[in-house]
Amino acid sequence: MRTPTANLMLWFLGLLPSAIFLTTSTAIEWSSTAASLNTLGRLTGVAGLSFFLVAAMLSSRVPGFDKLFGGLTKLWFTHHQLAAVSFLLLLMHPLLLAFSGMAVSLDAGISVLFPANNTVPSLVGWLSLIVMMVFLAPSFAFFGEPNYQRWKLLHKLAGVALVLALIHSFMLARQINFAWQYILWTLYTGLALLAMVFRWGFSKRSWFKRHGRLRYQVVGASKPLSNVVELELQSQAQQERLVYEAGQFIYFTPYDNQLTAGYAQEHPYTISSAPEETNLRIAVKDLGDSSRALQSIQIGSQVRVEGPYGAFFPSGDSRESELWIAGGIGITPFLSRARHFAGKASKVDVHCILCVQDEARALYHDELESIADRLPGFVLTLHYFYREGAINTEFLRAHCPDFIERSCYVCGPPAMLGCVQGILRSSGIPKNRIQTEEFNLL
Amino acid sequence: MKKLCFSGFIAFWSSIATMVAIHALAGEELPAAVNDTTYTLEEIAEHASLDDCWMAIEGKVYDFTDYLNRHPAGPGTMISWCGREATEGMRTKGYGPDHSDFAWQQMEEYLIGNLE
Repeated sequence: MRTPTANLMLWFLGLLPSAIFLTTSTAIEWSSTAASLNTLGRLTGVAGLSFFLVAAMLSSRVPGFDKLFGGLTKLWFTHHQLAAVSFLLLLMHPLLLAFSGMAVSLDAGISVLFPANNTVPSLVGWLSLIVMMVFLAPSFAFFGEPNYQRWKLLHKLAGVALVLALIHSFMLARQINFAWQYILWTLYTGLALLAMVFRWGFSKRSWFKRHGRLRYQVVGASKPLSNVVELELQSQAQQERLVYEAGQFIYFTPYDNQLTAGYAQEHPYTISSAPEETNLRIAVKDLGDSSRALQSIQIGSQVRVEGPYGAFFPSGDSRESELWIAGGIGITPFLSRARHFAGKASKVDVHCILCVQDEARALYHDELESIADRLPGFVLTLHYFYREGAINTEFLRAHCPDFIERSCYVCGPPAMLGCVQGILRSSGIPKNRIQTEEFNLL
Repeated sequence: MKKLCFSGFIAFWSSIATMVAIHALAGEELPAAVNDTTYTLEEIAEHASLDDCWMAIEGKVYDFTDYLNRHPAGPGTMISWCGREATEGMRTKGYGPDHSDFAWQQMEEYLIGNLE
């Protein structure tokens, strides 16, 4: 299945219960303003819950599964969008029902929100919505940019909100045709649970000893720059070695009790080694407490590696001409692919543009240059921000005249991604030939 | 997307606060005039059709003739309770869950008296 089809299917799943609701609704339910508001109120509840459940299905990362949806970052973008739609619908749900009550009297409207009798279903609904607000506040940066660990912790409340929402829905019972309602919600909850069971069961153990969670040890560390460390990791068990492709990433958990921060905390890092290398390498830039601490992780310490995730490059060896644009530490996935090509002496047509602030921050410049010297068809261009400002069309045209013909891969900080995507799109390159990878959390 | 969700979050609480405030400011609504008329179950049983539908619910008597066609689940769900003691229908909808507070409040519009 192609990526857009797979993503569309998720939206279809989210919309299906609403479609059933609408086809089974009767004319009486739309016969007056109050009746329509009431129907819309129930519809937003149904739609909100179904989008919530589809988002929950995507909340468990299972190595390999994400490829279907264009990689884990893309999958999580969809998860984020589904959750946002669900949240907005569920906010409208009690308001519309209360407005419909207002048609009878002010008291009746208020009693929809705060009933005096039969309070449990409404209380459970309120609790679910408030828990949802609490766990989504950091995801949607209600109160500034979130702290990664706090965000992860609060996000666990999503399960609580979902269970409460399901209880609320079952207690009120009359949203869709009776049987449909039980079939749909049970099916959707089942799928979400299946994803979680799959994650906690299968991928907790190493999956055919090549995917999932594996035990590694730090056997080397080099510093390509003062604020970047490249860690070399060796598998603890001879037969268990992560199988991955260039451009993929892992979740990395260090167990070095000398670390000043981030002990046993999990963070995603891009793999920098070539897939055929015996040891695994990751490049870590000092961007926060945990990644700063990793700069001086002890050689010999134990780590856990989970993955691989992501689908930045197409599988297998490329026969297309490629344009790579990397910003700073965004060079990592390209480095992995360049090392892979160099190791196999592949026949390639690659133009790699490395965007950095200045000469002192030209990450892996020497190694990439030596690859460019050895590997025909591999061209390296450096772009210095302090000298040339932000990258623009003229720069691309001057250094890579045929860039419009190439498949484009872009990785770097969000501002740079936006800028480069704008240039490429306005030059007439179709969207499906521009592949981006964001390091951003959401 | 983030901005939209934050706006929705603020709009939600503003609307809730506005409704609660209006409700508080409007003060107590006057109780509906007490209707002293009493009816027996036999009298109620004479009104058991779609054109003339009375019910007794929790000791009170209601004339639902004008409401039948407005019921969200259709008049069919109510017809079998016409002319009868219908507390069970109101409390269980025939399969379990109670009607909402809103429905109980709306019902008062159709009150015609008490059960003898």
